[in-house]
Amino acid sequence: MIHPANLEALTSTDLRGTAPMICVTAGIVLALLAEIAPALRPARGLAFVGSLLAAIAFELRLVADPAGEVFHGAFAASSRSATWGVLFCCAALIAWTYGRRYYKEEAGHVAEHDLLMLCSTLGMMLMAGSRDLITFFVGLELLSVPLYSLAAFRRVRATSVEAGLRYFVLGAFAAGLFLYGSALVYAATGTVSLAGLHDASLGSPLALVGAALIAASLFFKVSVFPFHFWVPDVYQGSPTPVTTFMATGTKAAGFAFLLEVAFVMPPSSAGLIAAIAVVTMALGNLGALVQSDLKRLFAYSAVAHAGTLLLVVAASLAGDPRAAGPVDAALYYMAAYVFTAGGAFGLVALLEADGERFTKLESLRGLGRRRPGISAALSLFMLSLGGFPATGGFLGKYFVFSSTLRADLVWASVIGVLLSVVALGYYLRVILTLWMLPEPEGERAPEVRRLSATLVTGVCAAMVLWLGLFPGWFLERFLN
Amino acid sequence: MTVANEQLLILAGLLFAIGAAGFFVRRNLIVVLMSIELILNAANLTFIAGSRMHSTAAAPNLDGPVFAVFVILVAAVEAAVGLALVIALYRRKQSVSLDSLTSLGD
Repeated sequence: MIHPANLEALTSTDLRGTAPMICVTAGIVLALLAEIAPALRPARGLAFVGSLLAAIAFELRLVADPAGEVFHGAFAASSRSATWGVLFCCAALIAWTYGRRYYKEEAGHVAEHDLLMLCSTLGMMLMAGSRDLITFFVGLELLSVPLYSLAAFRRVRATSVEAGLRYFVLGAFAAGLFLYGSALVYAATGTVSLAGLHDASLGSPLALVGAALIAASLFFKVSVFPFHFWVPDVYQGSPTPVTTFMATGTKAAGFAFLLEVAFVMPPSSAGLIAAIAVVTMALGNLGALVQSDLKRLFAYSAVAHAGTLLLVVAASLAGDPRAAGPVDAALYYMAAYVFTAGGAFGLVALLEADGERFTKLESLRGLGRRRPGISAALSLFMLSLGGFPATGGFLGKYFVFSSTLRADLVWASVIGVLLSVVALGYYLRVILTLWMLPEPEGERAPEVRRLSATLVTGVCAAMVLWLGLFPGWFLERFLN
Repeated sequence: MTVANEQLLILAGLLFAIGAAGFFVRRNLIVVLMSIELILNAANLTFIAGSRMHSTAAAPNLDGPVFAVFVILVAAVEAAVGLALVIALYRRKQSVSLDSLTSLGD
């Protein structure tokens, strides 16, 4: 409980536990300062990349040597939250690198784009490690509000403004649900800290309604049925680098906290959650089958992946006998997903920035012959999203389904595996379009080679293969 | 005369219901924003009522009021960004209605 007597000076553990967030904050300040003089502008990119790399370095130290609860239990720098933090920083770096030279009409204020992206990353880190609902709420808003503006960043385009507004209206409503839910839980129990809620009895009707509202708002953030309908529109209308960031980072942050607070839902709701997960997977996969727009196709696929991850939440509620099993499965799945989806959305951004006529699936025709490197990477990402063996996506799915099986949710895992097979249909369609279909008539876009984008594509592809072939490395290093 | 905690909770519940109904029924974006503000204030009122329910004279429970302060702050932030987005929409479409959001889709 917050009490004036508890508030003493900052300790060195506090600083060690929040060092990654301090790095990102420093990056925000430096990037802002770099705008005061034209001569300093190139330093902005340096501040962005430098602060995130420093944050990753500190997070890696925390993975090996966690600082535990800091700031009087408001935030916990566990090795789990530090692993999530690494993923958020990677997501931001991937999205940012693909976004360079993406904005042509808005080139004058790209600085705002970078700043907002850093703020959003900071919010994710705060969410993943929060140990009470207040810290989580501040993190959630620090994540969301910059993303509303980022979605509408191309404000000369109606599609972008519309995506931003839709995301804002629904996001603000979800925040309202979360707040009213937390208020009801607080009125029932008198505490907002996760530890306090863990010990309190959550059986009263007030607390149950509150828990349901909190769950609903989190379901919105991670785009799960029945709160998934905004995803295709927002993903389609937002600038593609922002979509990249949303698809990877936001989802990871939402699940990081959802897994932490899953206990507020009664164990008997595991079956319901599993049913929601299966419906989400079905809607995502079947929706993706009929899309002709590449960004919408990926958006439906993102919904399907959120459904798969929700199975993990159901498994942890149903009581997987290995207590850390579901969370580890989610972390592995999300680690593979950040690099796979980050690479896939990022390559779409790259092709768009090069002036390819996008973003219809049709426009990928003949790309395999024209730009084999990009096409090969995109094919690899598609295979990993589809859960093809030897890719990170496959092992992620394997861990998720096996943790669901251990929790005795056999029917959910069986339907999940079947739906993953359906998903291969549209992922293979993308690969087919890339390599097999003849190129349409018409002029070609000039090809621009960019070292940074090539590099990050290579890193993503390498990570996808590495996670698929050598899972031991990640499991030992991050999940013990 | 003092207000009972239950009365506060019921009032907050009504505020939430009005806000949620407004959010789903109204098409004007400004009214939708106002409805969201009502929901946030319903949460604030519940936090204050909760604090009163769980406080004693010796040990005040301040979690609720602290949460409410954060909510007020964030409500201002959201209103600023939301109104900016509505202005951006008005410049494109000369309308602030949800029905004018038509440019996305397959």
